[in-house]
Amino acid sequence: MKHLVSAAVLAAVCAAPVAAEEFKWAGTTDPQTMDPHAVNSAPVLGFLNNVYEGLVRRGKDMSIEPALATSWEPIGEGEGWRFHLREGVTFHDGSTFDAEDVLFSYERASNEVSDTRSWFAPVSEVKIVDSKTVDIMTSAPNPIFPDSIANWMIVDKGWAEANNAALPDKENGNYATLNANGTGAFMVTEREPDLRTQLKPFDGWWGEATHNITVAEFTPIQNSATAVAALLSGEVDMINPVPIQDAQRLQGQDGVQVIQGIEARVIMLGFAQEADVLKYGADAGKPNPFQDARVREAVSKAVNVDAILKTIMRGNAEPASQLVSPAMRGYSAANMDRPTYDPEGAKALLAEAGYADGFAFGLKCPNNRYLNDEAVCQAVTAMLAKVGISAQLDAMPVSNYWPELRADNFDMYLLGWSPGTFDAEHPIRFLAHTPNSEKKLGSWNFGGYSNAKIDEMLPMIQSEIDDGKRQMMLDESAAILQAETAYVPMYVQPLVWGARDNVSLTQRPDNFFILRWVSLQ
Amino acid sequence: MLTYVLKRVLQSALVLLVVGLVAFSMFQFVGDPIDNMLGQERTDADIARLRTELGLDQPFPVQYYKFLENAVQGDFGVSYRQGRPVAEILVERAPATLELAAVSGFLAISIGIGLGVLTAIRKDGFLANAIMSLSLIGVSLPTFLIGILLIYLFSVELGWLPAFGRGDVVHIGWWSTGLLTGSGLKAIILPAITLGLYQMTLIMRLVRSEMLEVLRQDYVRFARARGLKDRTVNFRHALKNTLVPVITVTGLQLGSIIAFAIITETVFQWPGVGLLFINAVQFVDIPVMAAYLMLISVMFVGINLIVDLLYFAIDPRLRTDGKGAH
Repeated sequence: MKHLVSAAVLAAVCAAPVAAEEFKWAGTTDPQTMDPHAVNSAPVLGFLNNVYEGLVRRGKDMSIEPALATSWEPIGEGEGWRFHLREGVTFHDGSTFDAEDVLFSYERASNEVSDTRSWFAPVSEVKIVDSKTVDIMTSAPNPIFPDSIANWMIVDKGWAEANNAALPDKENGNYATLNANGTGAFMVTEREPDLRTQLKPFDGWWGEATHNITVAEFTPIQNSATAVAALLSGEVDMINPVPIQDAQRLQGQDGVQVIQGIEARVIMLGFAQEADVLKYGADAGKPNPFQDARVREAVSKAVNVDAILKTIMRGNAEPASQLVSPAMRGYSAANMDRPTYDPEGAKALLAEAGYADGFAFGLKCPNNRYLNDEAVCQAVTAMLAKVGISAQLDAMPVSNYWPELRADNFDMYLLGWSPGTFDAEHPIRFLAHTPNSEKKLGSWNFGGYSNAKIDEMLPMIQSEIDDGKRQMMLDESAAILQAETAYVPMYVQPLVWGARDNVSLTQRPDNFFILRWVSLQ
Repeated sequence: MLTYVLKRVLQSALVLLVVGLVAFSMFQFVGDPIDNMLGQERTDADIARLRTELGLDQPFPVQYYKFLENAVQGDFGVSYRQGRPVAEILVERAPATLELAAVSGFLAISIGIGLGVLTAIRKDGFLANAIMSLSLIGVSLPTFLIGILLIYLFSVELGWLPAFGRGDVVHIGWWSTGLLTGSGLKAIILPAITLGLYQMTLIMRLVRSEMLEVLRQDYVRFARARGLKDRTVNFRHALKNTLVPVITVTGLQLGSIIAFAIITETVFQWPGVGLLFINAVQFVDIPVMAAYLMLISVMFVGINLIVDLLYFAIDPRLRTDGKGAH
């Protein structure tokens, strides 16, 4: 009898790999839409990267690699880029991919109603050379253009037009909101918004499948404790994220693994620099000390980032010295040192600036946007108190937070920035350039930091073809931002995923979960 | 009679209008949906365009008026988050909540009455005392904690029941039911207990105190003196007379079961309207929030109206014309 049982067990074990490999995963946010041009947000683009493809895509190390284009080269002296399209690619519905679809997707994604429009700001024209060649002309030389379109996904022209989805419709939704027809390795086979989305491998995919999934199902689970429980009980194979405070405990459990890395997102403190007076705290109405670079530097010395990382981030994050993390293109290795924790030095600087007795101000902080954001702000408040400046902390949900920042209701604030292009130029454009709504620059520079040299260099960085010269300018920008303490970059946010032991996967710093890199043992 | 009904209906309509007005005045404090709808590379022009398009640049009374105008025509707008008509989403989500409420209501009533009778009859017994003490947990522990505890016990440790979701569902017309599949039945157990626990203890304590009251009354003593069986006395004569207040309370509690399903649904990722509402609040999905709040207030006002009318029918003293009085 015993033999019989063990034989049965053996048979079951042997049979297992042949059985359908159903993979279930959970995340906190359901992709709002299946339309790749309607919403420019990580949950949507990350999910749709499994279904749709762009001309180029990012590899496991975030490098740009061929996808629907097999190769590309600059045209002339930087007038644009020529893309050679891949032969024999079909969409999930069987129609063929060609240059018409690229042109159509450009028009669709760059339309006024598309959330992805800003990616195409440098583009002046898209020309079809032949059915397998496309020229994308730019108004100025644009060396990183191929890097900036890795999430621009190609939609089938015929499909979109036939289903009245020639343009994305975020406000009212249309056929493409619920249905997808890409060229990617997976097809959306069932979609119940907010409940579940089922994907199946696309047999006609041009690439070679390295995964062994036969069905994949995504379920949003908002409550992190429930998600952890579902992972532990084996109801799901992978969850993203794992709450930082649960990571260690989860690591010790049988049958599950914790996958840690760092995200592209740098968490920093920003200052009201344009405002003439303080707005909050006991000193409201008095002249704004943060206009003085010495005061800002004092803040950077007063914040003990290592302590924050050790206690609040439980050792999962890495300190940041500049607006981008080391994994990003254009990171300035020359400026990799961040200010050391030096409360005495901070006090000396404050005294020098005329604030020997400190001052009081308001610190605005979100409480549901970044990992443990409110706790970080509380720690910062306590650390600043030690050098004699007292912050009145006001933490709020993110839906209230951005309107407050836009209305300039802060003296100091917390901000996280993940460069969409994975390039150091991105935060300069959005955070460091003087705010200018006409030129669409500095749109997240809430504090109004302004430096003529930075403003002058940005267009040069954007159009510099020579990598060495470009890097020199990026180094110079990083040095200026550090010297003036435009922001206080604190740390690079950690990325913590949980999975069953039998799952092998790849974690990318953009927090995209790519199904074709998953295999189940 | 007709005047009374008419008056009550008009009052109810007024309450609804006020609820809606208060709700809309609150929405501006929930936050701004614009940032949730646009990506990080949005421009000021995009923000302004979307704001105008959604009518968010209007003062809230205007927004409310537009909502009402569309709502009376059956149009509840389009969800900001999902880009689908709110009415469609609500219809899709309602069965999950209603089934959960029905099952937990059933559990609360049957177990609550049973335990209430038991604790009343064996007033000083060990079991009765133990149940009474345990029932304090049901009243005092917050719902989400009970939910998480149940998940850890029955899903993670024992692996008997699912930690989240509704299991497989069967579609019958527009209604989706999880009560006809094995996984659906398993999935509803924990959320139903979590949701119904408070009501169960409430009913139990109510039945117990009513029972104790009734058991002291003369007719029960006479019944016992007549030599009737204990069971007959307890259940046929005593219990029956305790049920009037129980039914009243249960009716009113049914509304709160549906309304307070929010927390239970969030803990168990139960795909009902409560979870939908929580998501809507986080996203500042005004059309969904507005429709949900109006729906819930219609329900509450409706239940209260029915209860009032029932009282009117049952209690002759309310008929002020005195014709019903003996």
